[in-house]
Amino acid sequence: MSGHDSKYFSTTKKGEIPELKEELNSQYKDKKKDAVKKVIAAMTVGKDVSSLFTDVVNCMQTENLELKKLVYLYLINYAKSQPDLAILAVNTFVKDSQDPNPLIRALAVRTMGCIRVDKITEYLCDPLQRCLKDDDPYVRKTAAICVAKLYDINAELVEDRGFLETLKDLISDNNPMVVANAVAALAEIQDNSARPIFEITSHTLSKLLTALNECTEWGQVFILDALSRYKAADAREAENIVERVTPRLQHANCAVVLSAVKMILQQMELITSTDVVRNLCKKMAPPLVTLLSAEPEIQYVALRNINLIVQKRPTILAHEIKVFFCKYNDPIYVKMEKLEIMIMLASDRNIDQVLLEFKEYATEVDVDFVRKAVRAIGRCAIKLERAAERCISVLLELIKIKVNYVVQEAIIVIKDIFRRYPNTYESIIATLCESLDTLDEPEAKASMIWIIGEYAERIDNADELLESFLESFPEEPALVQLQLLTATVKLFLKKPTEGPQQMIQAVLNNATVETDNPDLRDRAYIYWRLLSTDPEAAKDVVLAEKPVISDDSNLLDPSLLDELLANIATLSSVYHKPPEAFVSRARTAAPRPDDEEYPDGGETAYSESPSHAADAAPAPVTAAGTSAVTHAAAKQPAPPATVPAAAPVPDLLGDLMGLDNSIVPVDQPTTPSGPPLPVLLPSSTGQGLQITAQLVRRDGQIFYNIQFENNSQIVLDGFMIQFNKNTFGLAAAGPLQVPPLQPGASARTLLPMILFQNVSTGPPSSLLQVAVKNNQQPVWYFNDKISLHAFFVEDGRMERANFLETWKNLPDANEVTKDLPNAVINSVDATIEHLTASNVFFVAKRRNASKDLLYLSTKIPRGIPFLIELTATVGIPGVKCAVKTPSPELAPLFFEAMETLLK
Amino acid sequence: MGILFTRMLSSLFGNREARILVLGLDNAGKTTILYRLQMGEVVSTIPTIGFNVETVQYNNIKFQVWDLGGQTSIRPYWRCYFPNTQAIIYVVDSSDTERLVTAKEEFHAILEEDELKGAVVLVYANKQDLPGALDDAAITESLELHKIKNRQWAIFKTSAIKGEGLFEGLDWLSNTLKSGGS
Repeated sequence: MSGHDSKYFSTTKKGEIPELKEELNSQYKDKKKDAVKKVIAAMTVGKDVSSLFTDVVNCMQTENLELKKLVYLYLINYAKSQPDLAILAVNTFVKDSQDPNPLIRALAVRTMGCIRVDKITEYLCDPLQRCLKDDDPYVRKTAAICVAKLYDINAELVEDRGFLETLKDLISDNNPMVVANAVAALAEIQDNSARPIFEITSHTLSKLLTALNECTEWGQVFILDALSRYKAADAREAENIVERVTPRLQHANCAVVLSAVKMILQQMELITSTDVVRNLCKKMAPPLVTLLSAEPEIQYVALRNINLIVQKRPTILAHEIKVFFCKYNDPIYVKMEKLEIMIMLASDRNIDQVLLEFKEYATEVDVDFVRKAVRAIGRCAIKLERAAERCISVLLELIKIKVNYVVQEAIIVIKDIFRRYPNTYESIIATLCESLDTLDEPEAKASMIWIIGEYAERIDNADELLESFLESFPEEPALVQLQLLTATVKLFLKKPTEGPQQMIQAVLNNATVETDNPDLRDRAYIYWRLLSTDPEAAKDVVLAEKPVISDDSNLLDPSLLDELLANIATLSSVYHKPPEAFVSRARTAAPRPDDEEYPDGGETAYSESPSHAADAAPAPVTAAGTSAVTHAAAKQPAPPATVPAAAPVPDLLGDLMGLDNSIVPVDQPTTPSGPPLPVLLPSSTGQGLQITAQLVRRDGQIFYNIQFENNSQIVLDGFMIQFNKNTFGLAAAGPLQVPPLQPGASARTLLPMILFQNVSTGPPSSLLQVAVKNNQQPVWYFNDKISLHAFFVEDGRMERANFLETWKNLPDANEVTKDLPNAVINSVDATIEHLTASNVFFVAKRRNASKDLLYLSTKIPRGIPFLIELTATVGIPGVKCAVKTPSPELAPLFFEAMETLLK
Repeated sequence: MGILFTRMLSSLFGNREARILVLGLDNAGKTTILYRLQMGEVVSTIPTIGFNVETVQYNNIKFQVWDLGGQTSIRPYWRCYFPNTQAIIYVVDSSDTERLVTAKEEFHAILEEDELKGAVVLVYANKQDLPGALDDAAITESLELHKIKNRQWAIFKTSAIKGEGLFEGLDWLSNTLKSGGS
């Protein structure tokens, strides 16, 4: 490339940003304003104009309100991306918060609250303080909200500066709008704090009730919401409050109405006089009904709330069922909710009318709605005993019109009706069976099969009917399979003839051998066992009398209902979920861990993973290894879980089942096979004897996990073992117990080890020299490596403070660092868990750029701690391991152990 | 008449307002000077976290005066304001002898800036009303003003509180700018 080509890199063309920059710095006000508008436009469509930050901020000091607003808008958007430069705007905020124009003062304080930059928050406290005490109510009310915003950024600051007290004072402000905003701010702060901050006293109560009548509709909502949390001292006070609030029920704004309803419902809990309660219920009905004449969306919200209200106090709307009748042009979501409330409000008095409605709905076109209508009929039948017969006749009429999904839905509810009223309406079974062929939905099929099984003795051809289903057994969904299984068992118990016997054999076979579904298999095995051990008992179990059901499918748990009622007019009452189920809030009040004191103190906060704080109990190493070893060494009998199913009773099935162990593979432990151990003495050098061994830690003790494999032609016996002096003084704690080994056989044992028996002097070494002899062969010597992680003791966990202390107290010379190229952290959490299982305990973690830093601790016998810092990028091999310990000479061994653990 | 005058001015200034930066360490009196120049009165000030900008009309010249916060944390951002600057007013607290060295270092660092190559420099040896304030000669010495090359500069003894010396400095500035010193 020749030197001239450099020109391609410096373009003479200006981009949009430099052009804007130039215009922003123009001395002409109009040009400047236009430029800011262009910037805002670019920002709005998503272009990054953050590089113009200072230029835009420089336009901030202007008497032109429009320009000022635009710059503020820009600031709100980009302050976060330019936290350092945001400080340049502070002085202007301070100035503007003292501007003679209250609009500008309020604008400044409002914008300040929206700038969530830690560095400048502190500077904004003084202006905020001033604005909270401003002469102009508009400024005060804006400042009140700003306190809540500031609390979210820095709760401590708000408390230190006494803003909470100022805010509480504002509740007594003479301007109702200020009161409303102060209440709103306090309520929001309370939501974010675990401590009680905002509690209404009798003094504030009267202030709030007075402000309620004067402030705007949204202010009323805030005040009503706050009042609904107030616990009145007694019934009288509650009555008084309710009386003051009742006029709000007439408000045109549905939010006000719902909040008033919520508040009244809460206070009603305390009111004892039935007259007053009845009166209030009467008063609440019309506003709730009025809500249903609003737009469909509001209707839906109202209906979801009414659903809760009706569950708590059915009397309020008991006479208003007609307003819940579906109009043909209601949106489907409104219709569905209306149906639900109709079922709740259905009573003996209005059931005829309701049934007529339901029947009408069942002939509409929307399939979901039709199904729900059919189901509603069934639920009414279950709810109202006296109306059950009428409901069933409607259902039968519907079945006769032979619309497939109507029939299926009807069968599902009829099954429930049978359960609710046993032995009452079985005469209709014949009608149901006519529709058998048309069933194709799992739930309907399952219901029908249940009916056949339950009433097998009354259905002459029950076995034929079931058999028709059995052909397709393997293809059926699990729901149907389970019912088929149960129904066949019932049939067999009721009619123990040859046909059913063959059927049950086929079903049990299908449900055990040929299925992957554990539910089905387990149920089949239980039946199988029952039938083969005691058919009478089986009858008692399978054909037992069932408890009568009631329709509670759509009722909420009382405590949940109360919680939701306290949240009427919020999303919570629309979702029917408590707020914490879908809102995640960071509890800002919790003190942050101070990161300055940490070694290598970084800028990001440490986070402790709570899942590991609890599991201090030592976790055994790989379970497979343990069970396999105990199995071979101790020769324990198999666990009693596998009781052979002896069939001493002459039973119906014994002969044809051929019940034996082979088909009952329950809980049998897997065949013993441990993880492969490193080969230390290959059979080529050991005259056919192969020895594999490794140091392991089990239940707080060190073992030598050793396996002998006899590949020679002779029986080997009389095994003995000896360890040479080593760094840790490892020695056998007892004699080696190995049975005589037949040619081709192998044995594995766990030899308990003790420490500090025959300690070698000299530099630490991982070398472990072992000698093994037997009666037939010469003594075999071989070398093993001591893996330090077998020494990590269970009580090596360190608290953070302790960790810090220890780290600080150790001289820097004790810190050793090594890169472990073969180690990898694929997931921080998994690694922590894995290390914890090996007695390397998690202390803290943090992120630095793309790297994760983990702080861990471990300890080896004689109380030598290792303080570990791991640095790695998740998923990329190569872990930097720094360790600080009083015995740095052990570091090489330690790194080896870590590398093994992190592989 | 007014129109004629404006034309004369614009011919002198190339139709530009003069952009002036007021710099100096914190607590030197920059904000007080700015408002003394603009409104002619002493306002109570708090440390400027950020900037103030005002237009000052003097000698029929419009000065767009940028007063930048002098705290250590804000000094790095001064450079954001350097482009297109015709003049710098550097304010020194003449009574704060301990920090004169810092003031000197900051001052010369500013002079090094490429973007300020063409700017004329006016130094205010402020707070002359305080006892123990150094005079202009001593300040000239401490700031090593004699090292300034290829640039027009002047130093004035001022007291923003009393309003002394400020307009003399501004006179010098307007004359220098008019004569095309920038």
